[in-house]
Amino acid sequence: MATATPTLRPLACWKSILRHSRQQKAITRSLTTLRAPERTAAPASRNSLPPVWQKLKVYPPPPSAAAASREPIKDFTNDQLRILDPTRARTNLFSKGNPEGAKVGDILLVRLKDGEPFAGVCINIRRRGVDTGILLRNQLTRVGVEMWYKIYSPNVEGIEVVQRKEKRARRARLTYMRKPKHDRGSVENIVYQYQRMKAGLRSKEDSNLGGKKKGKGRK
Amino acid sequence: MAPKLPTSWAQLPPAFLLPDAFLPLIAKRGVKNGWSTAVPRSKPNRFNQQTAGLPTLTQSPAAALARKAYTLPLRTGALGIKKGMTAIYDPETGIRTACTVLQLDRLQVVAHKTRDKHGYYAVQVGAGWKHASNVPMALLGHFTGAGVSPKRHVAEFRVKDEKGLLGVGQSIEPDWFIEGQFVDARANCRGMGFEGGMKRWGFSGQGASHGNSKNHRTMGSSGGSQGSGSRVLPGKKMPGRMGGQQVTTQNVKVLKVDKEKGLVILSGCVAGPKGCIVKIQDAVKKPWPVIPEAVGTVKEALKATA
Repeated sequence: MATATPTLRPLACWKSILRHSRQQKAITRSLTTLRAPERTAAPASRNSLPPVWQKLKVYPPPPSAAAASREPIKDFTNDQLRILDPTRARTNLFSKGNPEGAKVGDILLVRLKDGEPFAGVCINIRRRGVDTGILLRNQLTRVGVEMWYKIYSPNVEGIEVVQRKEKRARRARLTYMRKPKHDRGSVENIVYQYQRMKAGLRSKEDSNLGGKKKGKGRK
Repeated sequence: MAPKLPTSWAQLPPAFLLPDAFLPLIAKRGVKNGWSTAVPRSKPNRFNQQTAGLPTLTQSPAAALARKAYTLPLRTGALGIKKGMTAIYDPETGIRTACTVLQLDRLQVVAHKTRDKHGYYAVQVGAGWKHASNVPMALLGHFTGAGVSPKRHVAEFRVKDEKGLLGVGQSIEPDWFIEGQFVDARANCRGMGFEGGMKRWGFSGQGASHGNSKNHRTMGSSGGSQGSGSRVLPGKKMPGRMGGQQVTTQNVKVLKVDKEKGLVILSGCVAGPKGCIVKIQDAVKKPWPVIPEAVGTVKEALKATA
């Protein structure tokens, strides 16, 4: 069913012709304004870097302080111990390898810089470098008392072994001593005897300290 | 409907015969183009300047920086590796202080972040060392461009202004911190894994008896029923992964500094397991430390001789 109106159509084609010519004009304009791209120098930073396929320069690391001290905690502890325990007496007293050292079950006496000395059965030795501490148990006025002492503390003037345990304790921590069945009770008498004996042997200065302790014991 | 403007070419003589004034006006007003005929206000003009009596913007990058200026440290911090804890005794008083030992390892400034380029000032610091074959090419280029060796750890420390930007390639030694000053230490805390409500959120758990059956540590109810919406509210505390998030410990005192061993001794504890990386920077809640002039001059002298 083809329509027979071709004679009327040519006028209508003007629109498309004009549109076409307008586009042509635009094309020619764009052609005439054709210009060569500006040759701008690439950024200097890009040029200074080597191309990707080249191997990058790798700078060597600076000297390392960490390599000089692989175990800083250990070094730091040793530095501290040199100040706190210059004679290494405390270290030896509580070292595991020393057969003459203090062990759990021994009765120890801790003399303090300021305050009364404290004696008791050592029921725990916590070895932690400069933080090493001992737990002493005693009975004062029939009440069980436990005291922790840091062995390297500047407040601890001296630690003495009052009495050794005859048989080596077979536990690392004698917490069973807290039970009434195993409690050693007060160690006052043993300490008193020890101090009297020491006073006889040692100089007058030491005997003064013993006297103080005696006075307290007789209260 | 508005009358259509004559746009057809057939109703007017050709354009070259007409002066500009006779050319058809194309409407530029309307919903499509915005009703206002005023100049768009996004551009600064004399009406939205500070002098125009209008309030200054409080939600601009500049305003954000101004807000932060009071709390941003003046100088960069450092990356340390937590080596463990020990104690220090004061020889005079005999007071024992627990301390954390950090080690600084080949700390160097890798890059800067600037206001112009990134919107804020910060110093990018790298620590440790990594073999070049283990570093991606792009990252290797980053290090090479800065003239430093490839770094194992990289972190950013924000500073207040460009005065706090330590030169690229400069190394940070433990004496960067002054004994007695306060720092903020931040690290990723120890990961606890999947933990129950009692440990993770401190729930009370349930009774041991009174007919309780096999539910002693479980969480109780997770919310009400119909009256409350019959749903679990978002953010309900429940069992799940615990730890591993960043924890900041504020106002930690620097007890000691050892340059030879690269040690910084901090008072007390710091989050994270041994071997974790710890960021330390001047404490924001304390007055900024006074850097003795001698340190700077000595450093300069050393540089000049080197």
